[in-house]
Parts: sequence; C-alpha cells; structure tokens
Amino acid sequence: MSKDKKDKEMICGLTADERDLLQQQLSGLPDVMPPRAVWQRIREQAEAEGLINTGVMRRPMTWNGGLGLAAAVALAAILVPVMMNSPEPGGITEPSVSQATNDIPLSALQSLMVESRQLESDLRSLPEEPRVRQAGTVATISEIEDRIAAIDYQLNDPTVAMTDEDKHIFWRERVRLMKLLVGLRYAQAQRAGY
Amino acid sequence: MSKFADIQIDPAIVKRAARGDSRAHEIIYRAFSAPVYSICLRFTRVPAQAEDLVQETFIEIMRSIAKFRGEAALGSWIRRIAVSKALMYLRSAWTARGQSLGDDWHEVTPGDVSSHGVPSRPDDALDLDAALANLPATSRAVVWLHDVEGFTHKEIAVLMGRTESFSKSQLSRAYQRLRPMLSLPEDDVRSESAALRGC
Repeated sequence: MSKDKKDKEMICGLTADERDLLQQQLSGLPDVMPPRAVWQRIREQAEAEGLINTGVMRRPMTWNGGLGLAAAVALAAILVPVMMNSPEPGGITEPSVSQATNDIPLSALQSLMVESRQLESDLRSLPEEPRVRQAGTVATISEIEDRIAAIDYQLNDPTVAMTDEDKHIFWRERVRLMKLLVGLRYAQAQRAGY
Repeated sequence: MSKFADIQIDPAIVKRAARGDSRAHEIIYRAFSAPVYSICLRFTRVPAQAEDLVQETFIEIMRSIAKFRGEAALGSWIRRIAVSKALMYLRSAWTARGQSLGDDWHEVTPGDVSSHGVPSRPDDALDLDAALANLPATSRAVVWLHDVEGFTHKEIAVLMGRTESFSKSQLSRAYQRLRPMLSLPEDDVRSESAALRGC
C-alpha cells in the first residue's frame, strides 16, 4: 500500500461502502421543526430592531385539514366570476392599491389560482395518509403544509392590502409548494400500495 | 447532500424580504426553519439553545439579506449563517469553560446518549442519531459539516479556526465510534477494503 493510501486509510478508517452508507444514513435523518413560538420571538425582536415593516401582529398559523381553506375562500371569490365567463368580474373585491401598481395581468393571477385549485383537487383525490409512514417524508410534508398555511394566511390577512404583484408572487409560491406536496403525497400513496 | 440545497424560494420573495417585508421573511423562515433548527440541535443537543440559535440566525438573515446578491443559492447562504452561529456557540461554550474549541474526546463517556426532542422514527435512524449525539461536540460538528453539508476539510478548518489536520482527525475518530452502526455484511467489507477513500 502506498503511503498516501495508508494515510487516507488512517484518516478515514471506513471502507467506501461504509462511508457511503454512513453519509446516506446521516443525510436521511429527518429535520426537526422548531417550536412555533420561535417565529413569534424572531418577529418581536425584528420589529423592535426595525428590521421588518411593522404591521398588525398575526396569530399563529396552522395548517388545517381543509387544505388551504383561507386561500380557497379567496380563490372562490375570484374564480366564480371567471367560471361564469364574465369579462368584468363584478364580484371581485378590487385590491385597495391603485391600478398603477397593477403590472401583472389579472389573467396570470387567475391562472395560478386555477392551477392551485386543481392541485388541491388532485391532493384530495389521493387516499388518506398511510398509517405506516417514513418519518422523513412526514416531516417534509408537514413542513410544506406549514409553508402553504403561512402563504394562505398572508393572502387572506384583511389588515394588509396586497397589490396584484404581491398576490402573484404569493400565489406562484403557493402553486410551487402545492406541486411539491402533491408529488410527495403521491409517492407516499404509491409506497403504501395505492 | 444538504437539505438546504433542495429548498427553492422565489427570487421576488427574496427581494421583498430585502425591503423588510415581514410576510416575505415569514415565508423564508417557514422554508428554512426546520433545516436550520436541525443543524443547531445536532450541534448543541439542547433544544433551548438550538431555538436561540435559530433566532440569532434569522435575525442575522434579516439584517443581511439586502446584501445577498444571489451569486450563491439562498439555501447555501442561510446554511453558512446557521453554521457560523452554531459554531460560535460551541466556541463560546468552550471559552466559558476555559478551553478552546478543540479535542474534547476525553469528555465523552460511552453510553452518554441523550434524547433531544427528535420525533419518533425508525430504529436505525434513532440509533444513528443517538450515536451522533454521543460524539464530542466538535467531532459531531465536523461529521455533520463534512458528510451531510458537504464542506471540505479546508472550509471546516476555516470555520472552526483550526487546521485541516484537526478536521480530519476529528472525522477519523468519529468514524471509529460510528462504525459499529454500519452493519454491512462482513464479506462486503473485506471486498471493499482496498477501496478506501480519503476524507
């Protein structure tokens, strides 16, 4: 054995297989969510230091079983007129921000909402989560659900006036997360023999 | 590879965060809080300290995100802040005890495994997590940084203010401790014994 190889052996002390297995197992350890109170602490400190724009204090967000119920309400408010093929959606509450900031076409926003609704429908069509689940997947799903809940809350906070551009950003993120969630739940269902 | 790399955030949300938009910051927090907390928890083993480090990390993100230019992935940037905070904590803990962040193997007693609030999961993962928790803090940090987060020994040395040899030595000793957790068939081990990789 060359000196270099011997040095490596002394440093590592593991075979290639052992090393791969260890790295695989370490990477597979599930992430842990911090307690919900941590964000509140961060927010309070950030507000005290003037790091974020202060606003109305928000209540803690939770992911409800209704899959983005709050977002669904907002979605329905906009989609109903759209589905009725109304060119002037009279039922929509216009954003309080002037049209000057409205540089995102409403149709793009609507298409994101439609896509989000379709993804929620896809999600509902999947079977219930299996009893035996991979801990890592469960943690990831929970994390994504939390992130969607956070976006839903932002989208439906009556104290905050959002521009269409704001809404577009948040709905785009919501759609992206919903796609991740559907993908994970689908894989989970497949593993469970669905 | 690190879970930080898998998390994508819309650049428009990052821009809003840079302007101090609390909603955007909350979205970033929701996206990265679990990997940040996990890394802090694995370094410190104490939930309350890990929570404090999460807070410090995200406050630092809020202070600095306006300087984030997007040359690296947001996840990499956040990970580096979290690692820096966690290592700073380890360093300060050692400093408080009149020691440097160094070789603390003598402090470890076999079987000194503590649960740190990690939720239930398959036995293998639980065992590995417990074995990892049982390593000295410095070695645990080196293993995690090297094998999960993908840092090189050179980078670890810089982060820890030590030498590359120190990092390699810590990794080697950690591997010796973790090796019994790797239940490969004996024949496989022998057949691969010539294929040892450098660290």
